[in-house]
Amino acid sequence: MMSIGLLMLASLVVITLFGTWIAPYNPSETSADSLAGPTAAHWLGTDSIGRDLLSRLIVGGRTTLLITFVAVTLAVCCGLVLGLFCGYVGGLADQVVMRVLDVVFAFPVFLLAIAVVAALGPSVPNLILTIAIVYTPRLARVVRGPVLSVKRWDHVEAARSVGVSEFNIATRHVLPLIVSPVLVETSLTLAQTIFTITALSFLGLGPPPPDPNWGAMLSEARQFMELAPLTVIGPAAAIVFATLTFIVLANGLRERLDVASR
Amino acid sequence: MMGAPGALLQVRGLTAQFNRGDVASQVVKGISFDIGAGESVGFVGESGCGKSVTARALMRLAPEGSSVAWGGTVLFKGQDLLQVKERVMQDIRGRRIAMVFQDPMSSLNPVLTVGAQIADIVRRHTGASASQARKRSVELLDLVGIRDAARRADDYPHQFSGGMRQRVLIAIAVSCQPDLLIADEPTTALDVTVQAQILRLLMRLRRELGMALMLITHDFGVIAGMVDRVHVMLDGSIVETGTVDALFANPQQAYTQALLAAVPRLDAAGRLV
Amino acid sequence: MRRLVLIRLAWMLPILLGVSVVAFLLMRALPGDFAQASAGTTELAPEALNIIRRDLGLDRPVWEQYLRWLAKLLEGDFGDSFTTHKPVLGELLPRLAVTAELTLIAGLMAMAMGASSGLASARWRGRTDWLVRGINGLFLAVPNFVIATLIVLLAGLYFPEVGIFNYTPFLTDPLGNLGSMLLPAFSLALAVSVTISENTRAAVLEVSSQDFVMVARAKGLRPSTILWQYLVRNALTPIITVTGLQLASLLGGSILIETIFTIPGMGQYLFDAVSSRNYPVVQAIVLVAATIVLLVNVLVDVAYARVDARVSYE
Repeated sequence: MMSIGLLMLASLVVITLFGTWIAPYNPSETSADSLAGPTAAHWLGTDSIGRDLLSRLIVGGRTTLLITFVAVTLAVCCGLVLGLFCGYVGGLADQVVMRVLDVVFAFPVFLLAIAVVAALGPSVPNLILTIAIVYTPRLARVVRGPVLSVKRWDHVEAARSVGVSEFNIATRHVLPLIVSPVLVETSLTLAQTIFTITALSFLGLGPPPPDPNWGAMLSEARQFMELAPLTVIGPAAAIVFATLTFIVLANGLRERLDVASR
Repeated sequence: MMGAPGALLQVRGLTAQFNRGDVASQVVKGISFDIGAGESVGFVGESGCGKSVTARALMRLAPEGSSVAWGGTVLFKGQDLLQVKERVMQDIRGRRIAMVFQDPMSSLNPVLTVGAQIADIVRRHTGASASQARKRSVELLDLVGIRDAARRADDYPHQFSGGMRQRVLIAIAVSCQPDLLIADEPTTALDVTVQAQILRLLMRLRRELGMALMLITHDFGVIAGMVDRVHVMLDGSIVETGTVDALFANPQQAYTQALLAAVPRLDAAGRLV
Repeated sequence: MRRLVLIRLAWMLPILLGVSVVAFLLMRALPGDFAQASAGTTELAPEALNIIRRDLGLDRPVWEQYLRWLAKLLEGDFGDSFTTHKPVLGELLPRLAVTAELTLIAGLMAMAMGASSGLASARWRGRTDWLVRGINGLFLAVPNFVIATLIVLLAGLYFPEVGIFNYTPFLTDPLGNLGSMLLPAFSLALAVSVTISENTRAAVLEVSSQDFVMVARAKGLRPSTILWQYLVRNALTPIITVTGLQLASLLGGSILIETIFTIPGMGQYLFDAVSSRNYPVVQAIVLVAATIVLLVNVLVDVAYARVDARVSYE
C-alpha cells in the first residue's frame, strides 16, 4: 500500500514542480474549438472558451498542490511547536492554550476557512494562512498527547533522576513517539486540505484568476456540462486522485509504523 | 478411570489446534476421560496446560477471532459433539451442558438487567412466556442466595459485587437444569472470603439438581472436598489421575508433587511452601 | 458523575465567549472599510461615511465595540443585513431550519449506511470486510461537492426530465420537500457514512471479543439474539456518539451542497453573504454554527459519559 501511495505522491510532486513545462498548451490560450471532445490535438478536449483541458488540469494541479504542500508544512511546523510546548511545559500554560484551541475546534473546519478567507480576501498567501490557522490546532493536539504520556513513564522518571538532561530525554524518548502519529496526521491533513482548497475555489474563494485550479474548473464546467462531460470529469478525477494519494499514504504509514512500534 | 459404559460424557483422543496466521500450535494433545452422571471431576494444572481449552471443546466454543481445529470424539449421551451441526450445538449449550466462567466482572452484559439475562436463557430453552421467565429468574436468584431477589432482578450488573455477579452467573448456568455443569476457575477472580461461599454454593446446587460437575482450577486447595476424581494436566496432556485422597497421600508424578507442594498447608510445621 | 456533567457545561461558557470574540474579530480583519461596505456599491462622501461610522460605533475603542456588540447579541439583535437592511436574525432562522432539515436527513442516512456496512464488515469478515473497507476508502477520497456535481451531471445526461433543482418548502408540500432533499442529503451523507462505518466496525469487533459475548454463546442463545441484544446494543453508544460528532462536518459540507442544488439554507445564505461582503450575516452564521456544534459536542460527551459509567462502574 505504501509503495502505491509513494508512487502516486511522486506523480503529484512532478506535476507540482514541472507542471508548467509538461503541459502541452498554455492553459490560458483560448481557441475557437470550444467544448470539443477528446481529439488528437486536445487529448481531453477543451472547455467553454477553447482552452486545452489537459493543460489546465496539469497547471491547475500545480497551483492547488503548491498551496496544499506549503500550507500544510506551515501547519505542521506551528502544530509541532505548539504541541511540544503544551506537552512539555504542562500545567497552567498547557491548559490555557488548549482552551484557546478548543475555541478553534468549535468551528466547523470549512465554515472557519470560509470566514477567514472572507475576512482576509482570497489570495494565495491568505489561503495558505487560512489552512495553517485551521489545521494547526489538530496537529498540536496530536503532538501533545504522546508528549504528555511519555513524561510520566517510569523509565523516563528514572532517567531524569539519574541526571539525564531534559534535552536527551526529549530527543531519545519523546521524539520517536511523536514521529508516527504526526506523519499519519500530516497525510490526513494533506487530504483534507485538498478538499478545503478545492471547495473554496469551487465557491469562488480560491486563488484568483488567471491561475487555473481544479475547484474553479469544476464549478465553471457546471454551466455546459452535458455538452462536454469531460470538463466535469477531468477536474473531479484529478481531485479524487490527489485526495486518494494522501489517504493511501496515511493508511500505508499506519500499517508500517504500527508494526514498527510494536 | 473408566466410568460405567454409557457414561454421560466420554471423551476420546481430544485434540485442539490453534491457527494464528501461519503458526499452528497444539494446545490439547489427545486426552481421554469420562464423566458419569452426577459425578464430580476436577481438572488441575497451571495456566496454559490446556484445561480451559478442553472445557471449551466440550461446548465447541472457539474464542472470537481465532480459528481452532478440534479432533477426536466427544460423546455426550451418545452424540459426538464435535460432529453435530451448529444449530444442534446451540440447543445443547445452556440446556444440557452449561458453563461458569472465570471473571464475573466482565461476564455479564452491561446494558441488560440481571433478571433479563436469566430470562433470556430460560425463554430460549423452554419457550416460557415473559412473565413465567421473570418468575423463574427471581426463583433462581433466590436459589443462589441473593437477598431481596425480586427487587434485585431489575438491577444492572454494575450494581452487584464480584461475588454476587458470580452467583448470578451460576444462576444462569443452572437455570435449565443441565446434565453437566462446567466451572472454569470459578473462584480465581474472587476474594478469598467469597471463594469458599461460591464453592459451597456449587456443591449444594450439584446435590440438589443432580448435575455432573467438571471443576477446572490451578489450585489444588480448591479441589479438596469438591470432587470425586482429579485429572492432572500438563502441557496439553493428562499426566496423572486419581481420587483426591490418593493423590494427596501418594502422588506418582513429579509434576503432581510440585502442584501439591504449592498449596500452603497450615499443618505443615514451620514450612509454608 | 454529576460533577463531570457540570464541569463540561461550565467549560462551554468560556469557549462560547471565545467563539464570540473570534467571530467579532473576524470582521475587524476586513480588507476595506466596514462603513463603506455597509453602504454597498454606492460611493459615499467622507462626511457621510463618518456619520455611518459614528452610528455603528466604529469610533469607539475595540473592546467597547465588542461589549456593545455582545450585549446586542444577547438581546437577539444580530444587526442588519447590508444588502436588504433587514434584521439578520429574521432572515437567518428560516434558513437555519432548512439546513437543519438537510443535516438531519443526511445524518440519518449516514448512520443507516455506515452502521449497516460496518456491522456487516465486522460480522462476516473476510471478503465482505475487504469490500466494505475498500469502498469506504474510495468514498473518502471523493469530496461531497464533487459527488453532488457528478450526480447533477448524471441526472442531466440520463434523466433530463427529472428536475433536481426544484426545492419546495416543507409546509407547502412535505412529500415533494423530502424528495428534493434526498439527493443533496445523500451527497452530504456519503463521506460521513465512511467514518461511521469504520467506527461501527471497530466498536462491534471490540464488543465481540468481550467475555459476556462468549457467555451469551455458552448460553446457547440464538445468533440473532446475540447480535442485537449483546453486540449491537453495546456498540450503539459509540455509533451514536460518532454520528453526533460528525455534525460539524455535515454543517460545513451543507454550504457546498446547498449551493449546488440551490437549496435556500444557511449555507447558501453564507455563500451569498460572502460574495456580497455582507459582514453582519457572515458573522451571525459563523457564530450560530459554532454554537450549535459546541452544544451538540458537549451533549454527546455527556451522554457517552453517562452510559460509560454504567459500563465501567467498578
